[in-house]
Amino acid sequence: MTRHNRILLSCVYWAFVAYVFVPLILMVLMGFKDSKFIGFPIRSYTTDWYTGVLQDTETLTAFGYSVAIAVLSTVISVLVGTWIAVLLEGRKFWGRAVILGMTILPALIPGIISAIAFRIYARLLGIETGMGAIVWSHAVHNVPFVVLVVMARLSTLPKSQIEAARDLGADPLIAFLRITFPYLVPAIMGASIFCLLLSFDDFVRSFFLGGYEPTLPVLIFAKLKSGMSPEINAIATVALVLTAVIGVWAERFTRRMNKD
Amino acid sequence: MADPLVRLDKITKRFGDTTALSELDLDIAQGEFVTFLGPSGCGKSTTLRILGGFEQPGSGRVLLRGDDVTRLPPERRNVNMVFQDYALFPHMTVKQNIAFGLELKGMGKAEIAARQDEIMSFLELGAFGGRYPAQLSGGQRQRVALARALAPDPALLLLDEPLGALDAKLRGQVQQELKSIQRRTDKTFFFVTHDQEEALTMSDRIVVMNKGKVEQDGTPEDLYFHPASRFVAEFIGETNLLTGDLRGTDGDAVVMDWFGQTLRGHAPGGIPQTGAPITASVRLERLGCHATRPATANAVQGRVVGKTFLGSRMALDLLVDDARGARLRAYVDARTGQSVGDAPVWIGWDESSMAVLRD
Repeated sequence: MTRHNRILLSCVYWAFVAYVFVPLILMVLMGFKDSKFIGFPIRSYTTDWYTGVLQDTETLTAFGYSVAIAVLSTVISVLVGTWIAVLLEGRKFWGRAVILGMTILPALIPGIISAIAFRIYARLLGIETGMGAIVWSHAVHNVPFVVLVVMARLSTLPKSQIEAARDLGADPLIAFLRITFPYLVPAIMGASIFCLLLSFDDFVRSFFLGGYEPTLPVLIFAKLKSGMSPEINAIATVALVLTAVIGVWAERFTRRMNKD
Repeated sequence: MADPLVRLDKITKRFGDTTALSELDLDIAQGEFVTFLGPSGCGKSTTLRILGGFEQPGSGRVLLRGDDVTRLPPERRNVNMVFQDYALFPHMTVKQNIAFGLELKGMGKAEIAARQDEIMSFLELGAFGGRYPAQLSGGQRQRVALARALAPDPALLLLDEPLGALDAKLRGQVQQELKSIQRRTDKTFFFVTHDQEEALTMSDRIVVMNKGKVEQDGTPEDLYFHPASRFVAEFIGETNLLTGDLRGTDGDAVVMDWFGQTLRGHAPGGIPQTGAPITASVRLERLGCHATRPATANAVQGRVVGKTFLGSRMALDLLVDDARGARLRAYVDARTGQSVGDAPVWIGWDESSMAVLRD
């Protein structure tokens, strides 16, 4: 590579970094601005917006609601997804490709379309909009990610591991619980974190299937309609820090697990 | 006579169009070290997997101490296996790996601890109890795999080429160890390998397999010195193959004509059908080189055309007189080899050193 190319490439790289991070930095910065309006110049700084957010019951309730939905939908998708992955991986049977395709499909359908479809379906079945409906749609959307991650891990489990367990007296269930499952834990952990973040972040499905209580993204959207204020930046920053911490921790955790 | 420990009764196994085993019959006695030897695809691994319960034979029965276990899954057979890749559980320590089979046998904590200690001191694993498999060397892992399989006290231990992953130097040492462990535990070992040297050093009995059938079944010495078939003669060790015509029999001896020379041998695999040319095998170290005609049953004249020094011994290439360029290769001790000159020599061997092959 010539020197010229190298300089060009590093310029492109730093431009991309700026493109990704500058908006985030601005957002965090504006949360500390001591004024009602977002924008430069910032004359003085305050943490009032943050203390306000942490005392605002509406925001805290929405946050708790989002977390509950994320946890519930993740538990469901991990259970269902792991089950499907275990059934599909390493087996050949008629219709396997169709089942796999149908399992993956929810990840590929645009959010707005699946949200509308869920809405219609929910009404048809008489399912109340609200938490149950949101959890349901999030779980369906997240199953494919669990299936793919768990299947990938499962495909690297040597067949001899299960045979050795069987040989030493384990029936298929015990072999699964004591050998296969521990082997899958890193993948399940990784998939869970991913599902939690996906669910927490989701707006479209939560908006279409929500009842009277807003999730955090829906609340932020509602607040936006009454005008931008640094309060939103403060909420977003808290959410950003939380998700970043969880994400980094999960990444390190799974990497450490994989090394063993 | 009491039931053998294991009896395979007309086992046939097909995978698609290929026949892995055809009508295999075999008895294994308590305390034997039996090796199944053969090239890949000969059916040795399939036999092992059928014994372990990982494959079901298409037809035939597997009897363990007289009980039909053909359809029993692996967890319900009193048979344990040492896997080729050891298959140690990576998330368990050495101790936990060893305890796995004991827990599933329903042993109590104290009993498990006692058995763990016993097997770990027996295999000199005492210092490694708390380590994970990833923290062990290849040889140590192999010992842990052995300990884990022996701990539940199986009636039969299956070993699937467990030395393949070890380097050559370690392998020799482990071979000795395995043999001595087998002797001390008085367990029945069923060992599968494609390595003839490994088979010869460890086994009480070798079953040579080829294309899903037993080629020959006997002691290492039997197989080496009295091969029944061409496959066995060539698969195990080095040999001279002499092709000639069958003349007939004289008592136990088989008489053959080899380029006008009358040779006497024996036929461990049965006397071949007359008509077609027959082949006989003579091991290299069974040929002697002499200045005068030796008193052995067979003697031919020839000249030394090549010498290869091998340290403890010397390989001589001998061109046989009046035999259309036929050559024999002999191992002699290095001193004798050095003294052999260009003068014609007599090459002699016994009747019992020459095995007439059945094919």
